[in-house]
Amino acid sequence: MGSASLKVAGGKLLKASVQAAGGRISSLKITGDFFLHPEETLAEIESALANHLLNESAITATISSLLQKNNAQLIGAAPQDFAKVIMEASK
Amino acid sequence: MNGRWRIIPLETCDAATAMALDEACGESVKAGGPPTIRFWRWKPSAVSIGCFQSLEDEVNLETCKKLGVDFVRRRTGGGAVYHDCDGEITYSITAPESFFGKDITASYKLICGWLVDAFARLGIDAEFKPINDITTGGKKISGNAQTRRGGILLQHGTILYDVDVKRMFSVLRVSKEKISDKMIAAVEDRVTSVKKSGNATYAQTYEALVSAFSEGKETFSGSWTNSELARAKELVETKYKTKEWNFQR
Repeated sequence: MGSASLKVAGGKLLKASVQAAGGRISSLKITGDFFLHPEETLAEIESALANHLLNESAITATISSLLQKNNAQLIGAAPQDFAKVIMEASK
Repeated sequence: MNGRWRIIPLETCDAATAMALDEACGESVKAGGPPTIRFWRWKPSAVSIGCFQSLEDEVNLETCKKLGVDFVRRRTGGGAVYHDCDGEITYSITAPESFFGKDITASYKLICGWLVDAFARLGIDAEFKPINDITTGGKKISGNAQTRRGGILLQHGTILYDVDVKRMFSVLRVSKEKISDKMIAAVEDRVTSVKKSGNATYAQTYEALVSAFSEGKETFSGSWTNSELARAKELVETKYKTKEWNFQR
């Protein structure tokens, strides 16, 4: 299990713990002091990324579309920041 | 601001009860109860963490146990906060989301404006610092966090009255190297308090908050209903005191 953290410029702190195998995410936990409304969306993001391809732009796209689908607002970080810290943690 | 607001005067609460009352209050506002402003202090002193944080990453549980400091996970995002019983005042606002609109950042600005007004009444020149802080002279004096569920907005936040940075860092998890005098000095450069910024007493600070929060609203001084208290008691046992909730991340 690898972990990484990222302080978003002008935003919040993101941390990810990732287990990766064969170029895919096998398990993932995201923590941090960001805001996400509704809050349940984070658990949905984590399940959507289980077994997801480890590719920064694909992860960004998956998170963006989930936020859109749930009409969710992410404050203090952007989908790209999540993707970046996940990729870093998987190294 | 439409509606007749209930103000629940300053009370003391343990951490789980404080969070349970916020949630019970949200349910009663949703059921047609009055929008509510409440004030409390944490007894025993406690650490609250944001809903997306890891308790074990953020809090030194051993030191908490030693010092009798409580801990709880909030329903709101944001960071870990040490709530000293004598060092701060906490408020919460619970009201229909429609009072504030969909724009979360704008609603932080609006409610934090009430706090800025309270600080002005104490002779402290403070300003809203997005996303969720209030600063004076570039130093943080208040932190705030918001959630919206089922059309109800909850914003709670703390007003730092007196800060003991050493104690703060003994319960919040920071590596030993970081709790050097240098680090403490750096934090003291970034955080301030009402006491450091003027001569106001704790009572005067509380009075200024009540006046500023009431400005332009029809208010009445109220108390919890029996059903809110019963619901909060239930939430303490089924949620805020459970390992499943507090250690979920």
